[in-house]
Amino acid sequence: MNLAHVHLLLNHIPVLGTLIALGLFLVSLVANHDDLKQTSLALFSLVALLAIPTYISGSGAQGALKESPDVSMSAIEAHQGAALLAFISMEITGAASLIGLWRFSRTVKNPWGSGPGRLNLLTVLFLAALSSGLMAVAGNTGGDIRHSEILAGQEATSTIGAVGAGLTEAIHHFVIDSSMWVWPILEDLHFLGLILLLGSVGVLNLRILGFLKQLPLAPLHRFIPWGIAGFGINVVTGFLFYLGMPDFYILNIVFQLKMFTILLAGTTLLVFYCTSAFRSLENLGPGEDAPLFAKFIAVSSIVLWIAVIVLGRYIPFGEVT
Amino acid sequence: MAVPLIFKTIEESGISTWIRDSPSFFAYWFILSFHAIGMGLLVGASVVIDLRILGVARDLPLSPLKGLYGIIWTGFWIQVASGLLLLIAYPTKAFTNPDFYLKLTLIGLAVAFMQKLRQRVFSDSTLTEPEMMTKGKALATWSLVFWVGAVTAGRLLAYTYNYLKYDYRG
Repeated sequence: MNLAHVHLLLNHIPVLGTLIALGLFLVSLVANHDDLKQTSLALFSLVALLAIPTYISGSGAQGALKESPDVSMSAIEAHQGAALLAFISMEITGAASLIGLWRFSRTVKNPWGSGPGRLNLLTVLFLAALSSGLMAVAGNTGGDIRHSEILAGQEATSTIGAVGAGLTEAIHHFVIDSSMWVWPILEDLHFLGLILLLGSVGVLNLRILGFLKQLPLAPLHRFIPWGIAGFGINVVTGFLFYLGMPDFYILNIVFQLKMFTILLAGTTLLVFYCTSAFRSLENLGPGEDAPLFAKFIAVSSIVLWIAVIVLGRYIPFGEVT
Repeated sequence: MAVPLIFKTIEESGISTWIRDSPSFFAYWFILSFHAIGMGLLVGASVVIDLRILGVARDLPLSPLKGLYGIIWTGFWIQVASGLLLLIAYPTKAFTNPDFYLKLTLIGLAVAFMQKLRQRVFSDSTLTEPEMMTKGKALATWSLVFWVGAVTAGRLLAYTYNYLKYDYRG
């Protein structure tokens, strides 16, 4: 199995996933059904997570196709460009959805009323619609690479693809060539993001495990947006590293493992929002013991985030020479 | 200024060479991983305390957060141990870089401010929560500033050194 396999396995998920979640979200808004809204938001976040390996494995697929004479490099470039725009839009959709989920998860004692505000939901709706459109272009230009039967003889052209390809190049230039300080500053931000994420997720998980037991659980939840912010900083800075030196990362096994572990760790974070796991914890008062399944999630979350940190540090160790 | 010869002696020692050059999984990157985790514990726990004092999660009772000092000190000693091993691996690289002294100073200040916070805010059981927050506000703000500075100075060590080794200018 190579990265082209992974890409073929994953590539329909963001395209169809965004559309399905968008349909569900529209129904939930029309019917004003809170559970359905949360399910759609969780789906958007999950698709945003899965879009990360989908985008990255695409570069590996490109490497695998380089030798094929019947494949048009301009078609690949158009696809890569469209995919970048779709990816960025999807990540922002995922972030807005996570904030919505967070607002939902603390409705029990929400001083501002119930659930996420209208602005939050409308932002998600707008971004999700934009992402669906961009995902469609990405899927379409991607299909053109290998399925010449759907082209009526002419080379595929895509304005969106061209814009995205220009952006890919501009970001690469910014990260690598614009100043020798860009990379160190991004590294610094990546570490500060790590601290926010580990601090906020860590203190919540430790309380669930019974450490700092005198704390009631519900207010600890206010730290979660700081953790989401840290994660957001790291997705952005991490993606900039990747666009700066894709060849350094793409075949590096440690990097691939790190991406996979982030997927798992991100899912444990999501489980807290979209299942009833956190609901029953909201009422946990000082000195009370958390249920066993919550402890299980807490341990997994801590172990996985620590693994992400360790794998990140080992990336140079896995460098392909 | 000449680089002291002692750094060369350290670099030529077995343990220094092993940490630096061994292809083993448990050499350099292993120690660096601990240094990253220790940072997460030390600074992560400090930031949670600071943010709470500055008004995040106001309905969270403040005094039980004293328990986080256990994590802070665990992280601190992980940093001392892993940091010493990294220093043994690259003494010249660290000691010839002014940024290294800046980093140590900032860590010292941040830890000192966290300890002051513990004495003035957490160890005085006569204080009400609003009083604790008022009293700790300046200390929490400054410790946040010093932590961001310390992490930044530490991260930049990888990009600002003059010598990689005693007889190797970077």
